[in-house]
Amino acid sequence: MVMGKRSTIIISSSDDEKKDPLWNSSRSNSKSKSKSSVRGTNPRGSKKARLSDSRSRLCNDSSNVNEITLFCEDFDDGFSGFKVSTGSGKSSRKDLWVDKYKPRSLEELAVHKKKVEEVKVWFEERLKATREEFCNHVLVITGQAGVGKSATIQVIASHLKARVCEWNTPTPTIWQEHMHNSNAGIRYTSKLDEFESFVERIRKYGLVQSSFTGELKSSVILLIDDLPVTNGKVAYGRLYNCLHLLVRSTRIPTAILITDYGKSDSADHPARSFEELQLSLENAGACKVAFNPITTNSIKKTLSRICRQEQCNVTAEQIDLIAKASGGDIRHAITSLQYFCLKPDPMRSLSLSNPTTSYSKEKSDELNPLDDGFSLPFGRDETLSLFHALGKFLHNKRETEYSIASDQDAFLVRERFTRLPLKMDAPEKVLCQAHGQARPIADFLHENVLDFLNEEAIDDAWAVASYLSDADFLLATLRGMIARNHEADSVVQSAAASVAVRGVLFGNSHPLPSRWHSIRRPNLWHVEQSSSHNKFELLRQRFCAYNGLSSFNASVIATEYTPVLKWLGYREPEDLEPHQVMMRGNETENDNFDGMSLDDQEGKISEDEIEDW
Amino acid sequence: MLWVDKHRPKTLDQIIVHEEVAQNLKKLVTEQDCPHLLFYGPTGSGKKTLIMALLRQMFGPGAEKVKVENKTWKVDAGSRTIDLDLTTLSSTHHVELNPSDAGFQDRYIVQEIIKEMAKNRPIDTKGKKGYKVLVLNEVDKLSREAQHSLRRTMEKYSASCRLILCCNSSSKVTEAIRSRCLNVRIHAPTEEQIVKVLEFIGNKEGVQLPSGLAARIAEKSNRSLRRAILSFETCRVQQYPFTSNQAIPPMDWEEYVSEIASDIMKEQSPKRLFQVRGKLYELLINCIPPEIILKRLLFELLKKLDAELKHEVCHWAAYYEHRMRLGQKSIFHMEAFVAKFMSIYKAFLIATFG
Repeated sequence: MVMGKRSTIIISSSDDEKKDPLWNSSRSNSKSKSKSSVRGTNPRGSKKARLSDSRSRLCNDSSNVNEITLFCEDFDDGFSGFKVSTGSGKSSRKDLWVDKYKPRSLEELAVHKKKVEEVKVWFEERLKATREEFCNHVLVITGQAGVGKSATIQVIASHLKARVCEWNTPTPTIWQEHMHNSNAGIRYTSKLDEFESFVERIRKYGLVQSSFTGELKSSVILLIDDLPVTNGKVAYGRLYNCLHLLVRSTRIPTAILITDYGKSDSADHPARSFEELQLSLENAGACKVAFNPITTNSIKKTLSRICRQEQCNVTAEQIDLIAKASGGDIRHAITSLQYFCLKPDPMRSLSLSNPTTSYSKEKSDELNPLDDGFSLPFGRDETLSLFHALGKFLHNKRETEYSIASDQDAFLVRERFTRLPLKMDAPEKVLCQAHGQARPIADFLHENVLDFLNEEAIDDAWAVASYLSDADFLLATLRGMIARNHEADSVVQSAAASVAVRGVLFGNSHPLPSRWHSIRRPNLWHVEQSSSHNKFELLRQRFCAYNGLSSFNASVIATEYTPVLKWLGYREPEDLEPHQVMMRGNETENDNFDGMSLDDQEGKISEDEIEDW
Repeated sequence: MLWVDKHRPKTLDQIIVHEEVAQNLKKLVTEQDCPHLLFYGPTGSGKKTLIMALLRQMFGPGAEKVKVENKTWKVDAGSRTIDLDLTTLSSTHHVELNPSDAGFQDRYIVQEIIKEMAKNRPIDTKGKKGYKVLVLNEVDKLSREAQHSLRRTMEKYSASCRLILCCNSSSKVTEAIRSRCLNVRIHAPTEEQIVKVLEFIGNKEGVQLPSGLAARIAEKSNRSLRRAILSFETCRVQQYPFTSNQAIPPMDWEEYVSEIASDIMKEQSPKRLFQVRGKLYELLINCIPPEIILKRLLFELLKKLDAELKHEVCHWAAYYEHRMRLGQKSIFHMEAFVAKFMSIYKAFLIATFG
């Protein structure tokens, strides 16, 4: 929806720098600057002015456009779309605020000053210096979605009066389209291929400057905003090589933007590969700047500026709320604000949102406080990674004293059962956000919880262990009815998860002061695996050795035969060795632990490590 | 070959310990009318030996020519098919299997696989025995559903198939099954009987066995004949000629459990609990069944415990043993027991010594 809207709207707003497919001339930038100053006084008027302005500029540009297409066919798509729609430049009033209030100057950027400065200096150095001075010409910018990565580049470019040449992933080919095309004899090229050839060209020839008639002098910044999505090792390897070459050999200051998905979904494969990619780029000599989520304050500032300019009647509280709900995503915040201002009667929603505001003030948590009870029209539903959620449960952070609300509690609880209120949402909600399934959650909690208990508190350990045992029992009751009743299944699942989590939270009545802990992968999984493997081996050997004439029972073999065999020094087939872990003597024990801890380390590395929050 | 296997009686006539039972079985089989049989008794009492000998009696030496098969069965369960891995041991006349290996899917084994086997009546040219024998081990570990299916199977295919069931405790086998079988209780051999067997083996092996040592081995064996013979052999390897007061080497896992027990007694803290968990894992990796670990652990703990705590500790051990059977992952429950014990014991220590 948003995408569709956007494409029509780009046309009307002249100064949409991001979608201007190839470059922003310094000329257009100066224009937009002057425009923005006009708009400051009279927004309505300026909009009209801008519209006409944009058309004229488009006409000017289109002559250049044709030339550009000669050497940058990749952008064809974007341009043809652009041109077609210029004819129907209609929806001037339906501007998306996100585009309308794009930052035009360094001051308007909501990104942290230092980061902006860092990026600016980097570009300045690269642009001013003679080519040979720096060996690296690539800047990698990382950050969550909507923290202003592209905007920063655009603004800095305009500030430095440089053109931005941008790679945008071309429109994907649909299967039907492909079928149609292949009949017509057009070969399919994957987007990765296109990207590769684009990078190749950039590397070899640079951007061919001479064909620009107007501004020969202006410098160029190459912006790679959208890395092609790779699937599988081979494709990833190609992307990697191609970027590597780019980093090594490009002479144009290049910015590669990588969006961090890491926080929301750690299991997401592409996100991980992007992380790797980013690391390897850095190793290859690229400079890296990480953008943090935008602070609530600067979002608030931006939002109130927009409000002033749009003359909407939004209270500071509401802005505060929107800013907090956005989770550092300024694009989202602005969209929410626009949506919020669309409401026919903003006063009514104010009264609605009041209770939540006070609620959100109470809680200093960064979690989205909004979708609790009230469904306000904005706010991202945040997701948590499993590890984040586990960390919350295990660290068990609580308020230091009772809030007023809990004093008025209807039922009194005995002192040993009372706990301070949690510094988080209801555990079930956190579970829901983490998409936690009962079994793995229980296993993870079981593996890790002992690290988080007070050294003296064995009673706590028992309480926790007994609740986990309850949870396991609940999970096991599924056994009979898996095939039959899915509803009951899910109820029992969530009940078990709830028991496990709440048991851990409640049982740990003397939480340790938080310190750094890594969360281990459950050893239990490994144990189960090797146990069943060993069992199978035992039986097999038994059969082989005695041709099935003796006992058939694994437990008997394990408890009685193997110890004796070990005593007797029977070392029949060699493959007995690795599975029979001797349990006597310290050195063998250590051996065994080594075997396990190796695996452990692997787990630690492969899994996230959590610092405390 | 181990002595246990080497000196295992092959025919019903050779059986020393349960001579009467053996003779009765022999009569039963020679009269050609064999009902379903349910053997129950503690481990190491000779159930399996009896069954093997019985099969030999029924089918002759052909019953001893067995092969091991590990086969994947495709069971059609309503909307989907389930793949089940099952190891079977079979001769031309009988099939032996362990349905409880399939865990919670055991009822499919009982319903489908056993049915499948029972349906195929063996073609016997001589027209002698018109039935096949299915030996099912660990029937007491079957789920309730599986036992119900088993009941139906027994009725339906009794013409072509005889079931020999084998379990430790008949109390976990449903009434319905028990009433359809001839129940044969195999009691644990007495210590005198064990001594007799040990002397018999000693003679055969040409080993001088002092009666004192034999008695001690019998005593240590907890009335399990298998255990006794196994430790007899280890003693032989450890030290020969025997002295009547020589040490009988314990099982390594038992020692390990007692190590765990003393760990628990020494310190009661979450950290120690974590270490104990690691050791329990190690036992589990070595396929020691969790029930046995828990039982042994309780045994070791009780040895060192003050009388007033024993009752409570036993209660919790029983509680978590029950939980363990109901639950899925035994370590959760074992650990809960250890934690509970630590908590009780620590409170006790504080109360007594301040």
